[in-house]
Amino acid sequence: MITLNTLHILNKPPAHSRYKLCLSAIGPEDGLLLTENGVLAVTQLPEINSERCFALEPDLAARGLLSQISGDQTVSFDGMVDLTASAENVISW
Amino acid sequence: MSTLIIIDQPPYGSWEGREALDMAFSLAAFDQPVSLLFCGAGVNWLRKGQDAAKVQQKSVERNLAAAPIFGVEALLADGNACHQYGLAETDLPDHVSITDFGPELTGHFDHVAFAG
Amino acid sequence: MSISSPERTKTPAPAGVFALVITGAPYSSQAPQTALHFARAALAANKRIDRIFLYGDGVYLASSLNVPPSDELNLSEAWAGFLTDNNIPGIACIASALRRGLVNESEMQRYELSASNLRAPFEIAGLGEWVDSTASESRVLYFHKGS
Repeated sequence: MITLNTLHILNKPPAHSRYKLCLSAIGPEDGLLLTENGVLAVTQLPEINSERCFALEPDLAARGLLSQISGDQTVSFDGMVDLTASAENVISW
Repeated sequence: MSTLIIIDQPPYGSWEGREALDMAFSLAAFDQPVSLLFCGAGVNWLRKGQDAAKVQQKSVERNLAAAPIFGVEALLADGNACHQYGLAETDLPDHVSITDFGPELTGHFDHVAFAG
Repeated sequence: MSISSPERTKTPAPAGVFALVITGAPYSSQAPQTALHFARAALAANKRIDRIFLYGDGVYLASSLNVPPSDELNLSEAWAGFLTDNNIPGIACIASALRRGLVNESEMQRYELSASNLRAPFEIAGLGEWVDSTASESRVLYFHKGS
């Protein structure tokens, strides 16, 4: 697992004002975890295939989006615990 | 541990901003280092001449003016958002500083939080 | 871009304790549900959860009066069970709770209200409980409403 500086947890869909705010605060050593409606970003975000970008599997599955993102970046809640525990900082947007 | 409380929602239409101020003032009351950042539509909290009584709410102008006395270390406003909402530096309360929102700013604090 | 400092180059130990703040209401947001799944996974990974703090609309999770349809998960009940089974404090912020009509017996008496509705084991306390979490070693995560 890569060491993340700050993990940004984003549950807002692309249309929400805080979505853009979050993206503007992501530094080069940071990571992004998409949850809830935030997983809609997999249909739009070019950086989605970065090894620092993750999406919560149950939320992808619920919305029919599992095929839009590589399995390596799909995490379960166990993975979310790992990510939040190992990052130096976490910001919940 | 230093905390940055961010307000990105405008006043009076929802309560997140007030609840964020409560968080910031609580931290200050317990002598924890805290700064407040207004960004996005949240910069509208800083507009002068708010007559909140017209919508049966309390204005926060006095709270914000008192923030430094209560121990809030800095009141920051995102420059881009100010520009977007037509707020010149001279329109802002005296103790508010304009800043650039980005990873350098958020990375400066141990803890960054919204109220909702 | 920040310059790597000596502190940044060594890998810190992973966080072992979490405090969860829920600000989204059940049935108006996914916040309580996402938080519950996270909380269960955290315990399964041998992490500790120091406390759950309900703030803003999150206080609705502590209501004893929720009656969702029988084929939907009763989130308040599920959370109450989780907290009780694992001996984790669940605190509803008093200012948020009173505004929204979540009261325990003592607040009911204080304000001479007709009823109380706080679900055990949730308790009511001030923001100081949240300040404690931020000042402690706990990693504080927030579960806000999504839209």
